[in-house]
Amino acid sequence: MSSAPTDNSSSKPPETSMTAAVLSYLIPGLGQIYQGRFGKGFLFMISLLGMFFLGQAMGNWQNVYMPGGDEAGQRNRGVVSALITRWHFIGQFWIGINAWPAIWQFYDMPMPSKEKSAFWHNYQKTPNESEVNQFLVNSDKQPDLGWVYTVIAGMLNILVIYDAYAGPVFNPNLKPTSRPAGQAGEAKKEGVA
Amino acid sequence: MLFAFSIIYYHLPLMLLIISLVYSATRHDDWDEILGEAFRWGIRMFGFILCVAAVLFVASFLIH
Repeated sequence: MSSAPTDNSSSKPPETSMTAAVLSYLIPGLGQIYQGRFGKGFLFMISLLGMFFLGQAMGNWQNVYMPGGDEAGQRNRGVVSALITRWHFIGQFWIGINAWPAIWQFYDMPMPSKEKSAFWHNYQKTPNESEVNQFLVNSDKQPDLGWVYTVIAGMLNILVIYDAYAGPVFNPNLKPTSRPAGQAGEAKKEGVA
Repeated sequence: MLFAFSIIYYHLPLMLLIISLVYSATRHDDWDEILGEAFRWGIRMFGFILCVAAVLFVASFLIH
């Protein structure tokens, strides 16, 4: 007795979307919104960006940066050396454009002057070591938790990017292939041979 | 001082909620499945953290 052949049209791989993946990299959840999955898109956007900015605030806005210079502000490191020194940024990078000011600062690109806005002038810039030490000494454990928040937000966004690219892991449109009995037997024989 | 020391633990439910929700949302599209899986992952992570806390608690007695 053989079962009826099944329709294999539902077993084709889901369509992938590089545009959605890039959008979700730039701003978490934007790719899902682009695909019309608004609920998930806004969940990712609010959760991950909230986590990233809360983490930065807990670290006094001094925990997302690429160390590139010495105390005098002279850049004396390459990208690899900077990432080895400050490996946190490898995780933070995946949050997208919100971590780009660190790269901008690393390459000494123009920022608002200190007189105009001290906050934006120093935003994601390598902090002064003595100032950071002073801040850490006078704080509780929140600054340590702060950089963990920023790294977790970046790492979770890798999953979000993949979701935008290929859909959820358990994709309802991707059902397991069920072969007719005859074909399954042939496949077994091929496996033995 | 005690408040300052303990306030960090208020972040734990927030982290559990966000991590489990986001992770589950990358595994499913249906909201019932997302929330169910998020709940299960939240319980698993909380259980793991409790185990670590218990080990550290016992270890602190052994060291003294």
